[in-house]
Amino acid sequence: MIYAQNLRHRLLDIESLHIGGGHTAIIGPNGSGKTTFLKLCAGIELPHHGTLTISGKEPRAVHTGWVGEVPDNNLVFRTVYDEVASGLRFRRTPVDDIEPAVLGVLSDMGILHLCSRTSHTLSGGEKVLVACAAALALSPELLILDETDTHLDRKAAEILETIIRKRPAPCILQCTQDMDTAARADRVVFFEGGRPRYAGTPKEVFFHLSETEMYPSLWRIAECI
Amino acid sequence: MYLKADRLTLSHGEWNLRADGVFGQGVHLVTGPVGSGKTTLASALAGIFEPASGRINRDGILHLTLSMQFPEYHVTGFLVKDEIRSWHLPVAETLRQAGLDGRQNAKTLTLSRGELKRLHLTCLLGNLWDAVILDEPFAGLDCREKKRVCAAIEEGNHPLIIIFTHEQAVLPAADVIWEIEEGALVCRGKVPEAIPAWKGAPRYLTRATEEGAQPKNIRLQDATEALCRMHA
Repeated sequence: MIYAQNLRHRLLDIESLHIGGGHTAIIGPNGSGKTTFLKLCAGIELPHHGTLTISGKEPRAVHTGWVGEVPDNNLVFRTVYDEVASGLRFRRTPVDDIEPAVLGVLSDMGILHLCSRTSHTLSGGEKVLVACAAALALSPELLILDETDTHLDRKAAEILETIIRKRPAPCILQCTQDMDTAARADRVVFFEGGRPRYAGTPKEVFFHLSETEMYPSLWRIAECI
Repeated sequence: MYLKADRLTLSHGEWNLRADGVFGQGVHLVTGPVGSGKTTLASALAGIFEPASGRINRDGILHLTLSMQFPEYHVTGFLVKDEIRSWHLPVAETLRQAGLDGRQNAKTLTLSRGELKRLHLTCLLGNLWDAVILDEPFAGLDCREKKRVCAAIEEGNHPLIIIFTHEQAVLPAADVIWEIEEGALVCRGKVPEAIPAWKGAPRYLTRATEEGAQPKNIRLQDATEALCRMHA
């Protein structure tokens, strides 16, 4: 679904990378190029060199939902309802269809009680959940979550994971520092020094990381039982 | 030396949080759901959020600092070297500790968020404080850096550390566990006795205790050692 060929952009240096549909976890140390890669996939930045296509299209031609790590950067509108409705309104969705869509996604995410709240009164974690709701309301072809779970507690992160599975986008790229979350994805890409060093199933990738802190904690526990 | 929340009530509109308890010397871990008021409580304990009622007593604490969730809020230096000097720390040594060798002339706000968090925590923990309040110190850090921060916390250079977090994989050894539940701060007690009652415990700890293990502390290594002892 995602093809990168001879991609050079800032510190990124990708000779060839193919990521299929489904849920892919992007992992790696700070400053390894994860966010830069996600920005190229979202069309937020254009590559200096090389090609990147998503389902054969330029990234900017793909309907993408983006949720970044910094909660304050995700929200634009005054109330939660307006924030979640905004994408649908920009897309000229019929008015009668907007309210059920907004309430539906808020309800699925367990944050219906936030509906009439003003965005600036939300906690950091609540802002992340609202941003996810706004992205999911649009049923994107590509959903990108850039360390979104950083500001979520265990229960909220589990809700987000459940919702992603309930409302699956054809392709989900999730950058995370929670290796247990990464271990539940369909595949994992490990970035280091701007390059995708390992890519494959979680088992294949974490095999290479078994002696490091990046090995999933629940796998360590399971190996002791 | 202690920090005491004395019948504290914190309010934002209709939202309220009650806190009553004493944070003595040691490492305190405070967890709670999204929106439960962790950041508000951290700010109140640091003295930058005015409580609706009650008071905060600081006994024997002359130097207290708060690390905010978002490291951008702390930046005062245009270049990385300026930022480090603003903390009165040696540039080369601090860069080495933060894993940012050679980046002294980079513009501080061009660092990745994880790198900025590393720089901020290295600077903050590199100073000497009587009390340190850390709001989500592990957010945005990779696993290696989380471990480094845990090691810095465990070094014991700061007599009282209060950590507000929902980190699920890499935690430091802690002395006392607190949780925010239904609008109130609740003390679960001292570690390890507090572990079974800790509702927001990380998954690995829950999994280990479900197997009957009795970890001595809350780190992953404590959970695996407890399981190994069971099966030895």
